[in-house]
Amino acid sequence: MTTFLTFTLLGLVLGAVYAIAASGLVLTYNTSGIFNFAHGAQAMLGTFLYWQLAHGWGWPVWLALIVVVGVVGPLMGAALHAVIMKGLRDTADVTRIVVTVAIMLGMVFLSQWLWHPEEARVVEMFFGANAKVEFLGVVVRVHEIICLLVAAAIAVGLRMLFTRSRVGLVMRGTVDDPDLIRLNGHNPDRVAALSWAMGSTLAVLAGILITPIGGGALEANALTLLVIDAFAAAMFGRLRSIPRTFVGAMVLGLAATYVTAYFPTDWTWAGNLRVSLPMIILFVVLVLLPQDRLRGAAIRTRERYRVPTVRRAVVWGAVLVAAVVLLMPLMEDTSITTFGLGMTFAIIALSLTLLTGYAGELNLAPLAFGAVATIVAFHFGITGTGLAARLTLWGILLAVLVAAVVGGLVALPALRLRGLYLALATMAFGVFLSNMVLRDTVEHTLFGVTFSLFPNGTLIVPPLQIGPLDLRDPGTLLITATALFAAIAVGLVALRGSGYGRRLAAMKDSPAATAMLGQDLVRLKFGVFMLSAAIAGLGGVLMSTASGSVAGENFAITAGLSLVMLTVVGGIGYVSGALFGGLMSGVGFVIIIGTFNDLAMATPEMAGIYKTLGQVVLVATALIGMGVGKNPSGLVHDLFDGYRTLRGARPVLAGGAAAGAVLYLLALTGVIGNWWFAILTVLLVTTLPAFGRALMPRAVLSEEEFARRRTVPPELAGIDEPYTDDLRDRLDRELGLPVREGRGGPRARPAVEEGDVHAIA
Amino acid sequence: MPLLETRGITVRFGGNIAVDEVSVGIEPGRITGLIGPNGAGKTTLFNTVTGLLRPDSGQVLLDGADITRLPPARRARLGLARTFQRLELFLSLSVRDNVRVAGDIRRAGGHRADVGKETDRVLELTGLSDIADLDVSGIPTGRARVVEVARALMTSPRVLLLDEPASGQTEAETDAFARLLTGLAADGLAICLVEHDLPLVMRLCSTIHVLDYGAVIASGTPREIQESPEVIAAYIGTEEVSA
Repeated sequence: MTTFLTFTLLGLVLGAVYAIAASGLVLTYNTSGIFNFAHGAQAMLGTFLYWQLAHGWGWPVWLALIVVVGVVGPLMGAALHAVIMKGLRDTADVTRIVVTVAIMLGMVFLSQWLWHPEEARVVEMFFGANAKVEFLGVVVRVHEIICLLVAAAIAVGLRMLFTRSRVGLVMRGTVDDPDLIRLNGHNPDRVAALSWAMGSTLAVLAGILITPIGGGALEANALTLLVIDAFAAAMFGRLRSIPRTFVGAMVLGLAATYVTAYFPTDWTWAGNLRVSLPMIILFVVLVLLPQDRLRGAAIRTRERYRVPTVRRAVVWGAVLVAAVVLLMPLMEDTSITTFGLGMTFAIIALSLTLLTGYAGELNLAPLAFGAVATIVAFHFGITGTGLAARLTLWGILLAVLVAAVVGGLVALPALRLRGLYLALATMAFGVFLSNMVLRDTVEHTLFGVTFSLFPNGTLIVPPLQIGPLDLRDPGTLLITATALFAAIAVGLVALRGSGYGRRLAAMKDSPAATAMLGQDLVRLKFGVFMLSAAIAGLGGVLMSTASGSVAGENFAITAGLSLVMLTVVGGIGYVSGALFGGLMSGVGFVIIIGTFNDLAMATPEMAGIYKTLGQVVLVATALIGMGVGKNPSGLVHDLFDGYRTLRGARPVLAGGAAAGAVLYLLALTGVIGNWWFAILTVLLVTTLPAFGRALMPRAVLSEEEFARRRTVPPELAGIDEPYTDDLRDRLDRELGLPVREGRGGPRARPAVEEGDVHAIA
Repeated sequence: MPLLETRGITVRFGGNIAVDEVSVGIEPGRITGLIGPNGAGKTTLFNTVTGLLRPDSGQVLLDGADITRLPPARRARLGLARTFQRLELFLSLSVRDNVRVAGDIRRAGGHRADVGKETDRVLELTGLSDIADLDVSGIPTGRARVVEVARALMTSPRVLLLDEPASGQTEAETDAFARLLTGLAADGLAICLVEHDLPLVMRLCSTIHVLDYGAVIASGTPREIQESPEVIAAYIGTEEVSA
């Protein structure tokens, strides 16, 4: 009985901390409409800072608490709102999620830079672990009592805030209709800033309270994933109700301690089960939640993508393969291997182009499906042993099939709900996989079969062989992966232009209108998610064979998140965005950091600076991700726009091509190094449109812009232009007047330039 | 015998009654008008009929069958189509593809047809051929409303619910639109028109229902409605309506 009471109490304490974290999450979500994936990372940063002050520098605990919880917590929230969140109005869910994911990654990188991960740091309980009180035979630590009291105080405080105070009432209204709030004389921005400050404070508080309870050293990733426990709790209240969130948190806390207490210790899964519990509960709640109301496109989002024709996609696919073939003589064997690995990441990223770019749904754990496929391929797809071992085509096909089926199962509970829930479900699946499947390294017997899913923690995946095609040679692997990327990319472009692709686009733009045309949305989402999981699975198996051996860390949730982030940065609506995202997250940073490390080794007196630069690059990646809020259509979109203007300026294009050829020859003959070649080529490609504008403004700039550049006062711009029939037709169309006879058929020049007035808004 | 019928539909939002015991019928081959001040519950009634909202009580019948609990997509496949007051166009698609995708959905549902040819026919019928290849995000509101109608027609509906289709249209556009609706009704389509352009409603509709505070306060021919003292008092005020 005493044992039971003890564990119940421990469960309540854990639940209390979950509740503190979760209520902060619910608070910010409800006032700003942004689900903060960085919530756990904020808790983590705050806790590290607290450790630094109280333990590192030996400040008194009360002073450290005041500084961290009272000052840094609110400031961090307010700063996030002012710098980033405020700019996220009129963006799609995907953009909002990716921005907070980027903040999360940035905070993790930052903490690993400031506090070296291998040093052990212990945050102690308040008044020490030995300060105890005995009550009904149960021994309670003072720290635990403090947790319960703080949670109770927060519950009462939030209740008072929402029901008794004016600002609380406004907070409840903000997300529903900011304009209405403004009409009533309130400032929704100030209210949102306040709620971000409060949410951030609650996160920091939860981090400081929970770290000593969990025991062990302070660890950045573990604390960051506190957000998953928090959102599992928040799910009980549909991310809306704080009282129900508290109930959910208690259920979660109790379940976690009971699993630790009563599951047989020799059952190897029990330890992992404890960690995965939030995710399992999350799925149960997802299944039980009632269906969402269908939404229309309530907001006009800023994201815009152009769809290339299939023929153009084929041409560019061929160009890509040719470019890779041309680059191969420049590269050493190790670089070829790395490049091939990056190309397999790009294939995984294509799964995101389909799912997110075309269908508007989100998968935050693409690598998890790669892991599923890799495990299947490892167990069932290998023939031969030792050096002669090969992965078979059938093995890959089976792996891809299983990845698709698992994808369907993961997505199914969330498909009836809004996109955010699918994002949460996939992230939870990624964490679950890392915790349970990839840690299933010891053999065990189930139903008479002895096996382990991830034997010894490392899988050796041999090269693929299909008939005469043997991917043992890195060059062959690179070319094959590139050709496969190109083929899938062309396939996706063709898909986007087909009836299926139009249905996906319709669903993404307005679910309500699509349903009213007779489309079963759940079925459509289910199908596209399975297809996307299959592509991720294929890319994942290839990634594993390209690496040769893979461990759990290869499929870490943060790696998947940075792939998602960089693909969105590149341009989630474009297959070329996937190429950018895959290459950058797969190998780009490895190369850049490796280069800085090499430089540090070569010049020891500069080592400090180079190492710092390497860290800065990591944090900078996350900064780029946060920039998605400013430019939600992605980098390649801007690049395409630049080149679109160059169509009239052939000499500039020819000059660019010539310069590229010269660079290539210089690199081939060894006059310039590979790094210079890469840097100069990137520079050339990105600045060519600017050259075009400077050299041939008449051909490149639009008429309006050209006129603007001249010295005529702005109000007279264009006054000396002749009033042509073209302009007249255009004015007619802008005004919605009927088209005059004999002109302006469907093939006439588009009346509306991109970026013009959106008359429907 | 009405093709689409509501029986005692009631919808509450919290303490507010948005739709109060509404029973109306829409007949094939005719245009039925639904008018009333802003907030009278017209769009809420549409949302209930099309399945975006569940009523707190009451029934929706299509061709005599109870469809109250069917999801929107099933109702659409049974022949219910609508347009939206706040436009719900697919902004990443061209005008043609906005219309075409409705055919794509039907095809995926097992209906065999030449979607491309059908799209061209509907674009021609609705007078959209000249802007078919433009981005839908750039066209004026008046024509965007016609795109919504064209998209709805592409599903070969039996009942068409139009939510303020003429707002934002020029006079010329409204005339063409009125001819289109008359033609569609003559072909046997049951049309329900929610519209604030009263002269247009009076000209097109054979029956008009007037909603106020969620309840039907008058039903009848345009003439009866114009002469109804309740309607004049509650909705139109002191001004006389001219047809």
